[in-house]
Amino acid sequence: MKEGFRQAMAWLHTWAGLVFGWLLFAIFLTGTLAYFKDEISHWMQPEIAAHSLDSEASLALAQDYLQQHAADASRWLIDLPDARDPGLTVRWQQAPGKPGERGRFESRTLDAQTGAEVQGRESMGGEFFYRFHFQLQMPYPWGRWLATLAAMVMFVALISGIITHKKIFKDFFTFRPRKGQRSWLDGHNAVGVLVLPFHLMITYSSLVIFMSMVMPASIVASYGSDVRKFYDEVFPASKTPERADVAAPLTAMAPLLAKASEQWAGGHTARLSVSNPGDASATVVLSRAGDRVVHDFGRAVTFNGVTGQLLSSTPDQPVAMAVGGAFYGLHMGHFAGPLLRWLYFICGLAGTAMIGTGLVIWLGKRQLKHVKSAALPFELRLVEVLNIASMAGLVSAVAVFFLANRLLPVSLAGRADWEVNAFFIAWGLSVVHAVLRPGRKAWIEQLTLGAALFIAVPLINALTTPWNLGASLMQRDWALAGFDLTCLATGLFLGWAARKMQRTGDSVSVRNASPSPRSITVEQGAN
Amino acid sequence: MLLVLLLTYAGFTALCLSMPRHHAELLGARPSTRRRQGLALAGWLLLALSLWAAVAAGGWSFGLVDWFAVLMLSALALVLLLPYRPRLAMALAGLSLLASPVAAWAQC
Repeated sequence: MKEGFRQAMAWLHTWAGLVFGWLLFAIFLTGTLAYFKDEISHWMQPEIAAHSLDSEASLALAQDYLQQHAADASRWLIDLPDARDPGLTVRWQQAPGKPGERGRFESRTLDAQTGAEVQGRESMGGEFFYRFHFQLQMPYPWGRWLATLAAMVMFVALISGIITHKKIFKDFFTFRPRKGQRSWLDGHNAVGVLVLPFHLMITYSSLVIFMSMVMPASIVASYGSDVRKFYDEVFPASKTPERADVAAPLTAMAPLLAKASEQWAGGHTARLSVSNPGDASATVVLSRAGDRVVHDFGRAVTFNGVTGQLLSSTPDQPVAMAVGGAFYGLHMGHFAGPLLRWLYFICGLAGTAMIGTGLVIWLGKRQLKHVKSAALPFELRLVEVLNIASMAGLVSAVAVFFLANRLLPVSLAGRADWEVNAFFIAWGLSVVHAVLRPGRKAWIEQLTLGAALFIAVPLINALTTPWNLGASLMQRDWALAGFDLTCLATGLFLGWAARKMQRTGDSVSVRNASPSPRSITVEQGAN
Repeated sequence: MLLVLLLTYAGFTALCLSMPRHHAELLGARPSTRRRQGLALAGWLLLALSLWAAVAAGGWSFGLVDWFAVLMLSALALVLLLPYRPRLAMALAGLSLLASPVAAWAQC
């Protein structure tokens, strides 16, 4: 009875893992990259220089700029620079022509130290990986539904995997390299079990984040069809006050930062929203940065815009929301400092490696039966092609995305879209290549290509921009320098993986399972 | 976070050595029952101590997150280091134990 149950779980693990494995690999890899969303954006828009932070001074510059350029706007939004995102972004909304209409938004990025306008090259930056991670480049809401479904399957695969894996504690410290299929299984178990708290947290929290979409029953039961009311209650958005039509100068906003920080026990302001600037009815809403583990949805302090008097502060969130906020905060990791962010990144890579090794094992087991025959049956060949393109191909496409950012002309129309197109064209070509070439050769060639592309990233960066590795190290811009160095390390690692594959191919006549690029990243991380 | 890393790494190494198979592979002999129990106890104590160190340094919310992150990474590092550089893995555990009082002193 017990063995029957375990077999059923093994079956579930095998097939759920296979069918969603390729998609989950892409979701995990892009999600892992999204932990460095701001750093990637900074690299992709290096024109926006990083300075040492001075929120008060930056805010005063933003207020001056808006006073000069958007004095008659109905709303100002100011995003202050932080340690990761150097840009000072100001946006303003023109008063709508007719009541009930939404006014048009204008957006500018300012230098945080001089207040001068800076024009970053048009690029989605790290936002692309972040969006792809849960929208999968599909129209709303299909991508989100598919991502949610994938998250559920991931959860099922994790639980069934734990049940299937008989000797979790006995094999806890076991990894036997250079033993073919055995090593892949060891590796799969090791990254699965050792990083299990992360896997469970990330998968469960993704379901919590999508809860209102996936399980609307609890909302519908309490609020009926008036779902809007639920969101109004949960996110007490600052309502735009009626204009008094009496001119009154806006208070200096910089001192408000310290007052808000008092309300939040030292928390920082990420965004300011000014309603009716220059009017007697002006209000200033300061929203808190995500600097806590338990994410605080819509935490804000409101001030009178003329006198600078404190009007209201959102109350502490109820426990149920704090639980939701904890899962949200843990998943996103906004609060993480540089060191913890790297640990998040490594955990993400471990998750990606777990999925990759799983896919390789599925195929490796079945390939053994066909060692003697010249060609694989169609379904196995299909899995092989998808494995190659979804792993080695995707990694190369990421490098192409970065290279496109440096090589496409800055003035090209629709530049940001072309970067994304380059990513998908490269990914598509990797499928074609994997179809045309025999399995092992395709792996080696795509890994070699990925290695060359990643090593090219810092070189092309140095040739096409003044922000080369030496310069960014001199300026202590660790995000730029770290990006170049990480690309270099990734390239070296992919090259090593390609060589290793070639050598095992030469020495072992039996068709072995093919290594996935990411799986060995973790090994490298430990060495 | 350094102190947490040192303690978890040393703790996991002790737990690993408390298993007869690993003890034999790494030190060349199967451990006596008392030695096994001693190593297991030391391992769990070190892990408990690392939890205390993490929470003392970062408070409950940040401390717990830090602890889990370092816990997973130190285990992963140990497991991937063992087959390739077993002596280095052992030496690092010894160094961690030696360095942890210094790290604790620096943290306080």
